[in-house]
Amino acid sequence: MRTIRILLLAAGTALAGYGGWLLWPQLPYAAGWLIAGPVLHDALAAPLVGLAGLALGRVLPDRVWRRWVAAGLAITATLLLIAVPLVWRPHPAPPNPGLQDRDYTTGLAIWLTALWTGVLAGAVVSRWRERRAAARIDR
Amino acid sequence: MKASLPRPEAFHSPAHTPTVSARLGLWLGVAFGLCFLTGLASHYAQHPPAWFSWPTRPVSLYRITQGVHVLSGIAAIPLLLAKLWSVYPRLFIRPPRRPPALVATHTAERLSILILLCAAFFELVSGLFNVAQSYPWRFFFIETHYAVAWVAVGALAVHIAVKLPVTRSAFAERPDPDRRAFLRTAWAASTVAVLATAGVTVPWLRRVSALAWRSNGGPQGIPVNRTAAAAGIRVPNDWRLEISWPGATHALSLADLAALPQRTATLPIACVEGWSATAAWTGVAVKDLLAAVGAPTDRPVRVASLEKAGLYATSTLPAAHVADPLTLLALGVNGEILSPDHGYPCRIIAPSRPGVLQTKWVTRLELLR
Repeated sequence: MRTIRILLLAAGTALAGYGGWLLWPQLPYAAGWLIAGPVLHDALAAPLVGLAGLALGRVLPDRVWRRWVAAGLAITATLLLIAVPLVWRPHPAPPNPGLQDRDYTTGLAIWLTALWTGVLAGAVVSRWRERRAAARIDR
Repeated sequence: MKASLPRPEAFHSPAHTPTVSARLGLWLGVAFGLCFLTGLASHYAQHPPAWFSWPTRPVSLYRITQGVHVLSGIAAIPLLLAKLWSVYPRLFIRPPRRPPALVATHTAERLSILILLCAAFFELVSGLFNVAQSYPWRFFFIETHYAVAWVAVGALAVHIAVKLPVTRSAFAERPDPDRRAFLRTAWAASTVAVLATAGVTVPWLRRVSALAWRSNGGPQGIPVNRTAAAAGIRVPNDWRLEISWPGATHALSLADLAALPQRTATLPIACVEGWSATAAWTGVAVKDLLAAVGAPTDRPVRVASLEKAGLYATSTLPAAHVADPLTLLALGVNGEILSPDHGYPCRIIAPSRPGVLQTKWVTRLELLR
């Protein structure tokens, strides 16, 4: 394993170095975008997730409900993130037939409705199953 | 009150454990690996080095590799966020003060992770904005996305080298129900993200994928990336297709082209942005066309468009594509004459090529070497 690790370390450093060399001419324009990801995540996104988790624990003390709602929130956030460039286009290319000619807001609303219906149904069903299993053990 | 940063022990979510991190890391590694390999393939298909040749079969090869590229990137978005949440407490580990060797390795590891994260976020965000053709930045997308891909894959290899022992013991342990629930959520978010977008390239998902950046819209049922108006195309009345090779030049009118034997080929047009659509293209096989004017058919051909500016005003058909009977100089699509936005009077459509190289508004074919 030691050999594999040393090889990976050497190859990784070389590849990243090659990338850095390729990146050099664009670095002044890209630097802000490169550092923005980790900074926004560590200082904003992750603390928000933590706070949301704490709040969820207070509002939904039931473990089964908490799991389902947490999953619903995570999937909702994913869909919203992916939709950002579709609904926000600061410097778009010239108009292209077939590109972004859909109503993304409505589509997203339909997906979220379906998602939360599923979350609700899933939570109710697994709560019921858990209760039934508990009752069987009691008997 | 004195505000202070939390300590790693302050985090209690079941996600914060190596058994979860290692599994998410593996999935993420697969997604990034697919992204890197398919991205490299696309880069080489567009800028082939001397030792490389992109195959002409299967005809959908580029459609598949580029579809995988874009969808594995989409799948990686929730996986990356879940993985980072799982290791978030480690951000608050207090750095050691001594001995110097420990300080140095700690700093080096932190730095390598920072580089990995910068690169990973950058690739996913810039790729996502690029497929929507939204450019809120000043760097040149193609060059920068390509360069940072090498940084990402290199930093990932370093990260794997550092974490290998932890990962191995993490896989030996089976996660408890709460941790499995977290992993299932990450998996579900990734699947949903793919389903919501895969319609750009998977026809039967077109109606389901609400966040697909492409529809079936566009003239003649095929989307258009660059319109004739955007490219500033005006087809002159005396338009001729010029075919040249050392020692000879030939000019054909549109009527001459239409008089040659016509072929119809059902081929996908697949864009670097991951969308693709299949159409029935009709025209003269490039091979037949060259033979008809007495030109050699075994050489690469430089295709020039009426478009003056633009990165893709010319393309080079490799010899393998020139020799392929399915490579057409198309005059029509889906039973109609090509619309101006699809390249009237004629365009190149070849099997298994990036859409940007399927040159429209063709005016000259120049045989190389």
